[in-house]
Amino acid sequence: MSCSPFDLKDYFFGELSETECAGVREHLEGCPACREELERLEFTQAALHSVRDEEPPRRIAFVSDRVFEPRWWQVLWNSGPRLGFASAALLAAAIVFHGFGARPAPQIAGPPADAAALEARVGAEVVRRLEPALAAAVAQAEQRQSAKAAQLVDAARKDFEWQRRADRVAFEETLMLLQKKYNTLLIASSESYGGRP
Amino acid sequence: MIFREVEDRDLVARARRKDVEAYNLLVSRWDRRVFNYLLRLVRDREDALDLSQDVFLKAYQNLAKLEDPERFGPWLYRIAHNEAFSLFRRRRPVDEPPPEAAAGPSRFRMYPLELSLTVETALNRLSSDQREAVVLKIYEGFKFEEMAEVLDCPVSTVKSRLYTALDLLKQTLAPIQTRGVE
Repeated sequence: MSCSPFDLKDYFFGELSETECAGVREHLEGCPACREELERLEFTQAALHSVRDEEPPRRIAFVSDRVFEPRWWQVLWNSGPRLGFASAALLAAAIVFHGFGARPAPQIAGPPADAAALEARVGAEVVRRLEPALAAAVAQAEQRQSAKAAQLVDAARKDFEWQRRADRVAFEETLMLLQKKYNTLLIASSESYGGRP
Repeated sequence: MIFREVEDRDLVARARRKDVEAYNLLVSRWDRRVFNYLLRLVRDREDALDLSQDVFLKAYQNLAKLEDPERFGPWLYRIAHNEAFSLFRRRRPVDEPPPEAAAGPSRFRMYPLELSLTVETALNRLSSDQREAVVLKIYEGFKFEEMAEVLDCPVSTVKSRLYTALDLLKQTLAPIQTRGVE
């Protein structure tokens, strides 16, 4: 057991301040037991160094081969923003879980209705909603048909009027031509009879 | 132009850019020390060599995790420590022989000299934690803070392991000191 004011091993490994070392040195001058303890430490260290380092049986070296390259996930994980990526992944997982896993199934309020009553209710609701829609659709169809018929009648009337005018013009022209022929014949006959009426 | 020695941090920076030759240079600087550290822990050359290769491969693949390239050495020893103790966990019954079995000559006789054998035997009688503390301090010359970084434990724990180991070694080696070494 050392009686040194400070641990001799701390002194031996240089763990003490200069002041503490001075105190230990002063103590060693007057304490053969601590000097012997220090000598044992020095001998132990020297004995340990008698076991020398060995050369490795083979040198270790690497070649530029993709086998030795870090995997893509190792590069990603070791990259600077890996914590950000991990946080984003956790957030995405939470969103997916909330969207699909944690959403409660739709609940039907009250006890399930009787099938026939439910069918009747559905039928009545269909009729209630279908009739106005059907009437509106029929009215719209009739309106479209009326408008189209009116357009057709108007077009036929215009066509008839135009045809009537054309016939009238043709009749007038024919009449005028006959009138001219009559006049020509009248003049010719009066000249044949020597001016006698 | 000012020339300076290429330091580990320079090689780490180049290796991070997939410069395998720079990494090989880094390996050549550290492989002997890492091999001997592992050899003194696992006490088997083949295991030590296999672990060394694993250590340097893992170091290469995780270089991006090394926050301070100046601390490449302690970081490398941390990986080596994890690899060695992973092996211990896998082979605990074989690698942790009882003290009486370890008191004899080592199964892996490395040195013929009596002193070396005795020291080797004395080291084998230590626990793995104590032996590693001795290796890191006496053989590798780490500071206590660096040892705490490698072993991932407080400095007080490191000193406790080392000092206990030294007391045991002193007792074992005392007869040699008394008899003297030629």
